[in-house]
Amino acid sequence: MATSLPFALANPLRHLRARLRHFWLNRLTPRDSMVLTQRTVYILPTGAGWMLAATLLVLLVASINYQLNLGYLLTFLLAGSALVGMHLCHATLRGLALHLQPPPPGFALGNSAFAITLHNQRRRVRYGIGVSVLGADHWAWTDVGAQGSAIVHVAFRPLRRGLQEIPALTAETRFPLGTFRVWTVWRPASRLMVYPAPEVRPPALPAGEAHAGAAVDRARRHASGDYDGVRAYQRGDPRKLVVWKKAAKADELVSRDTEQAHRLELWLDLAHTGIPGNLATAGPALELALSRLCAWVLAAQRIGLDYGLRLGALHIPPASGEAQRRRCLEALAMHGNGA
Amino acid sequence: MQRLRHLPREARDTLFLLFVIAWVIAPQTSHLPLWCSLLALCVLLWRGTLAWKGLALPSRWWLLALLVLTVGATLYTHQTLLGRDAGVTLIVVLLSLKTLELRAQRDAFVVFFLGFFTMLTNFFFSQSLLVAGAMLVGLLGLLTALVNSHMPAGKPPLRDAARIAAFMALLGAPIMAVFFVLFPRIAPLWGVPGDAMSGRSGLSSTMQVGSIASLALDDSIALRVRFEGAPPRQSELYFRGPVLSTLDGREWKLLRSTLPARWQDGANLQVDGPVVSYQVTLEPNNRPWIFVLDAAITKPQVVGHELAMTPQLQWLSDRPVSDLLRYQATSHVQFRHGPARRTPGLQDYLDLPPGFNPRTMELATQLQRDPRYGQDPDKLVAAVLERLRTGGYGYTLDPGVFGANTADEFWFDRKEGFCEHIASAFVILMRALDIPARIVTGYQGGERNNLDDYWVLRQSDAHAWAEVWLAGRGWTRVDPTAAVAPGRIGSLQRLQAPSGLIGSALASVSPAALLNLRALWEATNNRWNQWVLNYSQARQLDLLRNIGFNAPGWVDLAYVLLALVVAASGFGALWTLWERTRQDPWLRLLRRAVRHLQRAGLPAAANSPPRQLAAMLRERFGADDRRAASVCAWLLQLEAVRYAPEDGRAPAQLRLLQRELGRLPWPG
Repeated sequence: MATSLPFALANPLRHLRARLRHFWLNRLTPRDSMVLTQRTVYILPTGAGWMLAATLLVLLVASINYQLNLGYLLTFLLAGSALVGMHLCHATLRGLALHLQPPPPGFALGNSAFAITLHNQRRRVRYGIGVSVLGADHWAWTDVGAQGSAIVHVAFRPLRRGLQEIPALTAETRFPLGTFRVWTVWRPASRLMVYPAPEVRPPALPAGEAHAGAAVDRARRHASGDYDGVRAYQRGDPRKLVVWKKAAKADELVSRDTEQAHRLELWLDLAHTGIPGNLATAGPALELALSRLCAWVLAAQRIGLDYGLRLGALHIPPASGEAQRRRCLEALAMHGNGA
Repeated sequence: MQRLRHLPREARDTLFLLFVIAWVIAPQTSHLPLWCSLLALCVLLWRGTLAWKGLALPSRWWLLALLVLTVGATLYTHQTLLGRDAGVTLIVVLLSLKTLELRAQRDAFVVFFLGFFTMLTNFFFSQSLLVAGAMLVGLLGLLTALVNSHMPAGKPPLRDAARIAAFMALLGAPIMAVFFVLFPRIAPLWGVPGDAMSGRSGLSSTMQVGSIASLALDDSIALRVRFEGAPPRQSELYFRGPVLSTLDGREWKLLRSTLPARWQDGANLQVDGPVVSYQVTLEPNNRPWIFVLDAAITKPQVVGHELAMTPQLQWLSDRPVSDLLRYQATSHVQFRHGPARRTPGLQDYLDLPPGFNPRTMELATQLQRDPRYGQDPDKLVAAVLERLRTGGYGYTLDPGVFGANTADEFWFDRKEGFCEHIASAFVILMRALDIPARIVTGYQGGERNNLDDYWVLRQSDAHAWAEVWLAGRGWTRVDPTAAVAPGRIGSLQRLQAPSGLIGSALASVSPAALLNLRALWEATNNRWNQWVLNYSQARQLDLLRNIGFNAPGWVDLAYVLLALVVAASGFGALWTLWERTRQDPWLRLLRRAVRHLQRAGLPAAANSPPRQLAAMLRERFGADDRRAASVCAWLLQLEAVRYAPEDGRAPAQLRLLQRELGRLPWPG
């Protein structure tokens, strides 16, 4: 409250509007599928609508002053068409079914895209429907065919990590004349998993630690008949140590780690990120450390290393693959959020 | 053509809009200054080329320079920026220049709304059926462009947008009709600028000999008349316009009396014989003249105009007839007017400018000295008419240019002319004979359209005749043209002005077909005039009277309109309510099934799916129970209709299930 007070004083109207919007959104029931009805579709004239009204008024006055019966006809036909246009505009959204597809996880500060399917039960095409995050102004426009469906992709930038609500969405249309804006506001029920923002230029992966279960690992290595360990390419590595197959998949050079891999395993530890400060409680230092861990997880995943994660009491044993990546990133996302 | 189909969307939309704008401007190019039409054409072509080639728009400085230039040109042409003509020029200029600035959505809206206004300006010049049709197409075009600009995704064909625009206009038409019929026709909110009606021809308040020649060639309609009962003889159909009494050199003017007002004579109109009732539809002429059949002693009923009769029997309004006007009038074709005895006021009708027409003066002196006539005005008039009949005088539409002494030239040199030459020469001779005389202009004769029984009087029926004052009889109509060319008066024969190429071709093949076509076209046009253009407050009030209002006023019109709007809104609200309660038919069936099962004591919830209901049934009654099995089968069919429908058969299956529902052996 202390921070919002000066703001409220500086711009009371805007503050009031934000409060009103908040109150309004909280009244809406969150859901993932919604059929738009009379109750959930709103309509107001646009600037162009007021302009048309002014034009009609001028036409009417001209018709009266010059006693032009044909002018009356023109004015009233235009007004009638605009009135029909208003109903068409409202009908474009009314009866439309919106369905949110389960959103894939995203990174904080990155663009999180999710897909929305629009279903049209009607026998007429619904033209010019735009979908956007409420408050953002990036519209994804689409037509929905007769008794068909269309998919639009909407993105937003989550600012925090963690499991969070998808921001309220809005669908809008100005079809057919642009004189009315018909819109709806929709609070999706699905939650979005947001990983921490990966650090942009993280330091190199930490050194490995002494192996706990060396025997198991050695047995596995013999079974596969291949080198398990790889590490980032270092200046002076002989060419035959470079793993060209992996280099072709990832963008960086990777060398075989002939010795360390047998003895060491990679642990990404919140306590050893090299970031000073209090990591036990929430704060910028913790977020920075989580960002770095996130970047490391991605780096390790990219070069195909096994990696484990230690977040305080939480230990995720070393492994690789998509499941491991997901498990680690979710742990990072939820760290300190009561999960 | 191929290129046209594969144009990028933006270019296609722009070209379409330019085409519509050109269509809207085109009908009024003949009324615009030439530079304005050319500018609009060039700018539209320029913009079209830019769109076609995908080039950048000109900078704002270009536009600003053009704008300043054109506003200057408008000011130079019209001497003002206000008023109708200057306004129309400016709007056309703005509309075409704005197309060079089609950048944002807002610019597009400005173009659309200027376009709507340009359409209205067309009606200043003509409200004919043709213009109305062209503007309907233009309106649909603009709406199509507007709809198209609100289809942001992909490149939908223009046909789709056109269909939606037509749909809107079609549904908008009843709204238009209701408002057109009921919107109160009130008087202009403020004074209409004086140039509002320029360019429409009609009779003039002065007559320089030769000016009616141009009217005689003008086939446009001046007024239409419908008689209640039998019409008078065609030779009696004189519709009085301005009476020209003062000759100023060679120009006839309205009376400019040199006498004090108390010496001037009143109308002193006395009517006799049967009453002729009729209805006149007067085309706008921007003059305050209300044409009635000679002579109307009662005031014609013209809504919105205050009328008064001049001493010369002409009915004048308090303001110019600037729109189509319909009025009811009664006349008597037998009447007398003017002083019975010679009064000083008659001196005005004897004045002649000195030094003109010496040979006519000479002729007058000879006639006065002639003992056969003995200075008897009656005999003198008869003698002059006889001279016209037998003296080798002829009627022609093409008499050539007359010199200063028009009467001399007519009487002695050319011996031919049309009504105004004849009337002018006649009146000059009468005055030289000391008989008060004056020229009356107006319309004479006309033609009956057999399709709708209207008499049509055209500008080519404009006529000039004479009135002479005779002691004891007052002003007496004398039509010298009838003496020269009896065919000119009182029959359908008329000198035909040369018609266009197609017209003459058709006329040479089948004159009757041309006449029929023209009659049909004019009857249609007349319908248009009667029902649309002349729909006035009087007819609105008639309508209210017909639906049971006593002494309605325009406020009542507003009430009726308001009531209709409220009723329509109420209907809309009811429909919304009904739609809200309307249920999916499948859900309705399911709800009924659930209620049946609940009555049997099953724990069925309102939102239980059919399969779950079936499972409950089997659990309660066992899989062997025949009755439960048939209900279960029904429930599973219901599920199949929803989730695995056969193509196109779902509604039929649903109806079948609905019929079966009642026959099912529900448990409990």
